[in-house]
Amino acid sequence: MRQRPPILLLGLAILAVLVSLAPLSYLVIRLGEFGIDKVIANVVRERSLELLGNSVLLALAVAASAVVVGGFQAWLTTRSSLRGRALFAVLAALPLAMPSYVTAYAFTALFTGFRGFAAAWLVLTIGTAPYVYLAVSAALMRADSATEEVARSLGAGRWRVFKEVTWPSVRPAAVSGAMLSALYTLSDFGAVSILSFDTFTRAIYSAYRSSFDRSGAASLAAILVVLTIALLLIEPALRGKSVVTDSHTRKYSEIQLGWYAPVAVMLASAWVIVSLVLPAYSLVRWNQTGLSQVDLGEVSRALINSVGYAAGGGFIAVVFGLAVSVLAIRYRSTFTSALERSIWITHAVPGIVVALSLVFLSNRVLPEIYQTSTLVLIAYLILFLPNAIAAMQTPISQTPRELDEIAASLGSSRLQTLRRVIIPIAGPGILAGGALVSLAVLKELPATLLLRETGIETLATRLWSETSVSAYAAAAPYALLLVVVAGIPAWLLNRQVQAGSRAQSGIEQRIERE
Amino acid sequence: MNIIKRALKVGAAVLIAAFAATSLAGCARESTATGEQTITIYSGRSEDLIAELLEQFTAETGIGVEVRYSDSASLAAQILEEGSNVQADVFFSQDAGALGAISEAGAFKKLDDDTTGLVYSKFRAVDGTWIGVSGRSRVLSYNPDLVAAADLPKSIFDLADPKFKGKVGIAPTNASFQSSVTAMRVLAGEAVTVKWLNAMKTNAVLFEKNSQILEAVESGQVSAGLINHYYWYERAAEVGEDKMISKMAWFEAGDVGNLINVAGVGVLSDKPEAKTFAKWLLGSTAQNFFVNKTAEYSLTGLAAREGLPALDQIAAPNIDLSALSTLAQTLELIRNARLTD
Repeated sequence: MRQRPPILLLGLAILAVLVSLAPLSYLVIRLGEFGIDKVIANVVRERSLELLGNSVLLALAVAASAVVVGGFQAWLTTRSSLRGRALFAVLAALPLAMPSYVTAYAFTALFTGFRGFAAAWLVLTIGTAPYVYLAVSAALMRADSATEEVARSLGAGRWRVFKEVTWPSVRPAAVSGAMLSALYTLSDFGAVSILSFDTFTRAIYSAYRSSFDRSGAASLAAILVVLTIALLLIEPALRGKSVVTDSHTRKYSEIQLGWYAPVAVMLASAWVIVSLVLPAYSLVRWNQTGLSQVDLGEVSRALINSVGYAAGGGFIAVVFGLAVSVLAIRYRSTFTSALERSIWITHAVPGIVVALSLVFLSNRVLPEIYQTSTLVLIAYLILFLPNAIAAMQTPISQTPRELDEIAASLGSSRLQTLRRVIIPIAGPGILAGGALVSLAVLKELPATLLLRETGIETLATRLWSETSVSAYAAAAPYALLLVVVAGIPAWLLNRQVQAGSRAQSGIEQRIERE
Repeated sequence: MNIIKRALKVGAAVLIAAFAATSLAGCARESTATGEQTITIYSGRSEDLIAELLEQFTAETGIGVEVRYSDSASLAAQILEEGSNVQADVFFSQDAGALGAISEAGAFKKLDDDTTGLVYSKFRAVDGTWIGVSGRSRVLSYNPDLVAAADLPKSIFDLADPKFKGKVGIAPTNASFQSSVTAMRVLAGEAVTVKWLNAMKTNAVLFEKNSQILEAVESGQVSAGLINHYYWYERAAEVGEDKMISKMAWFEAGDVGNLINVAGVGVLSDKPEAKTFAKWLLGSTAQNFFVNKTAEYSLTGLAAREGLPALDQIAAPNIDLSALSTLAQTLELIRNARLTD
């Protein structure tokens, strides 16, 4: 049954796409001024190509290792008989709370000579593995373990069950987590610059910093857009067919690890040490060295502003993300899928380029919103909407479609169905999307720095200004506070992902009884 | 088509409602002492360094300030992208290069002669669009445990010697370093500069920031590094002067490695208070502040901080700072030497 999508959703989704693609118009204008021959000359230089190679290599390496680490954590905490797996589940999501520039700094403070490709690879894997972990563990919890048991009972070995039953059911989640990780890596500046690894995004920043060369920077950013489009085009093939695993019985049989248990515990603990304990230790030690005084009033103002921006950013991401996701899933058509895909196109464009494009566009089109929190929130929407959508899609698509039809037969309008059926059932997943965006907003620096109202400081901008002079001790409280504040949504996120599957199975049981 | 139009209307209404709701949340700002008039300053100098100075400005003149802190280059890009809707009345830049870029784009208003006349002529724009207000010297910071003062290079060009391989830190993406290479290019010529840069590609350990270089010198990761002199004092204020391991050295007289660059201001609006601010920065309150608080050099003739050689004793290279805005060619050279991206 093909239905016409509700006007409200369509309106929100089209607006989200227009906003997301706004930076492209700026890139086109800057490139137009530059002239196509200069653009080509700037891009097709041996050095640019080498940097592009570095970026792509790093993005692929990070995506792959994030899938391995995050996938392993997800499997271990949802399927195995591991003791203390609830604790490991919380610890797996927690690195999200640490901005990658802080992690990078923490490691360089501990180990001299911590730099280059391997260092960047490690730090960015720490930062992005939770994306994969959250997506895959949500998928695993919803996947039907009965199928696995049947396969086992028919004599398939563990590896074969994993390869032919488990992997296909988590593959879409793993691929979208990998996609987020790869695009995050492409657009990252903070970590790679601290770790002295030359990437494309670093080149974009130095074009601005050192030569005020806006057109040169724009031509490089355009390459990242092209690269993203290429990734978007191959993504469906990587995802594979989505496997419908709408099980109504939801009993997990835990996989007994047996002799492998100590190995699994050791691996999981080692990762906890590397991803959490070492950086946290470094931060605390950093907090204790130095003599700088901290101004409590300043800290609390920064805290209030950070929380305000994070709440606002999370809220609008939920509103627009919900509209885009529901359209793409419930009212699937070429048009709605295209809307959903377009949101991703600017996701690898570095924050500073997005921010400057908004400076340029708002001053020419809507000067009233320039340097107001409205424009800041628009920037967050452009930068982080894909994160929200990636988190919402699985829970929304797994809300039973039959319920929509029942609701419709009982006279609910399409929006009422959305409000009374889809939102309650997929609620935890939708909130998880909002929490992810709030987290990203807390850590965001370049766009906040450029677009905030004059005089407004956040934890991240404070951290930046304290480290840009050498007042390390004054910076540490901001770094610690940022990590602690961001820890709250990170922890909630984990709970919601787990609660999501419980809520869903509860509803299904109720349906069965009726 | 009709549907899409209606959809957009509904969407816009929700968007406005959402933003109205969220915009109300979270706007805690430091209340500034606002007088009758207020000026907006885009500051590439950090809050830590100059917030106190700006408070004194408000106290003395009754003019309030709104400040936007960021790095000088981003602010310059922002000013240029704002086009005709420039929000700042004053741009307070960390270095002469960013001032030169705005000046070249024609966005600065010309300053009054009784203001520009207060600054040594070599530290301001020839056309009167910007003035330097404080000076900083390039220095070689070194770790005396690893290299004896007697073995220090006499000239910045000596750092090209193979004996410094892996022992010297530079920050090729840092504006201060780039300005000093520009000075080298202008004074010593392109061929010599290219040769030096290529040698540094082999010899130098690369960093992002001056503060990281200093940290590496302190920890012994490198023996020496090219930085601005005041970073030493900043770190000393942080960890205690007695705990500082590194020391500062200057090259021989007239060496391009002794470049003195400036932090300065240009005025972007017609507000008279903006010009008042520019002139005030050259007065005794501000100049004393630069000498005593930020350990910089006064550009109006006040004595330098104890322990620092006097401004005219450094024997800085003779260069027109306006030439430092010819950064593009320098960057091409630095890039070709594969020191930056």
